[in-house]
Amino acid sequence: MPKYSDRVDRVFHSLADPTRRAVIRRLARGPASASMLAKAFAMKLPSFTQHMNVLEADGLVESEKVGRVRTYRLKAGAMKPAEDWLAAQRKLWESRLDQFDSFVQTLDPKEYT
Amino acid sequence: MTLPVHYQPVTPIIDNKLDLLLERTIATPPAAVWAAWTKPHLLMKWFTPSPWKTVECEIDLRPGGIFRTVMESPEGERFPGTGCYLEVVPQRRLVWTNVLLPGFRPVAQATRVLAKPCDEFLFTAIITIEPHATGTRYSALAIHTDPQARDRHESMGFENGWGTALKQLEDLMRTESY
Repeated sequence: MPKYSDRVDRVFHSLADPTRRAVIRRLARGPASASMLAKAFAMKLPSFTQHMNVLEADGLVESEKVGRVRTYRLKAGAMKPAEDWLAAQRKLWESRLDQFDSFVQTLDPKEYT
Repeated sequence: MTLPVHYQPVTPIIDNKLDLLLERTIATPPAAVWAAWTKPHLLMKWFTPSPWKTVECEIDLRPGGIFRTVMESPEGERFPGTGCYLEVVPQRRLVWTNVLLPGFRPVAQATRVLAKPCDEFLFTAIITIEPHATGTRYSALAIHTDPQARDRHESMGFENGWGTALKQLEDLMRTESY
């Protein structure tokens, strides 16, 4: 349902940007600190932080701050929503038709004749 | 009587990885099934899985005519969905899609994904209805586009296709420890 689609679209939203895709490829090799990542992408920390905030808000990465160092890692299962889209569509249609069946069988003939 | 071929719609080939076919038999006449699918005040009572609700419904029951619903979450968030009918054969067959807007105008794909994050996937739905000894037999077929094909298509102009990026990401998350 919509809540689920929202999560799928968050994944797509994050992946729509080349820097964020590159960050994900980098993090797939292992966790990295914000400053390490920013240096690798030759970006100033503030604008880079914006990309990291998007990735974190969209549920693709998670971070932990120890002292002054924030370390990012890929979030396990982040891609699951995008993989399971058909199962979600099936669930929507099945519960929709369940409701349809119980509704239509109680329908007053005046409504359709 | 056999209809001329241009009146005979193509039967889609079902791809089990992309499409859903649900078939049911219920103890009620085809007229009731048709009414529940085509009259807004009836459709609103069942169309959205509870606890979500359908709070608005607009139907112009003819090819190219609007089929618009607004779903509402339990928290009161509203999610509009607009499409149009492709075929309307009373008490027999109803086909609509959200790939085309009313008047058959193609939807802007980018807005589907980015501006309407809570929209359903692009689909075409085919409802078939036939009389049955105990009432009505009906089927609902939802056919979808391949999300990765969609992603490749939409990413034209990007450095990498989303489909490629997704695939790479999935592969990496499967094979690499992190």
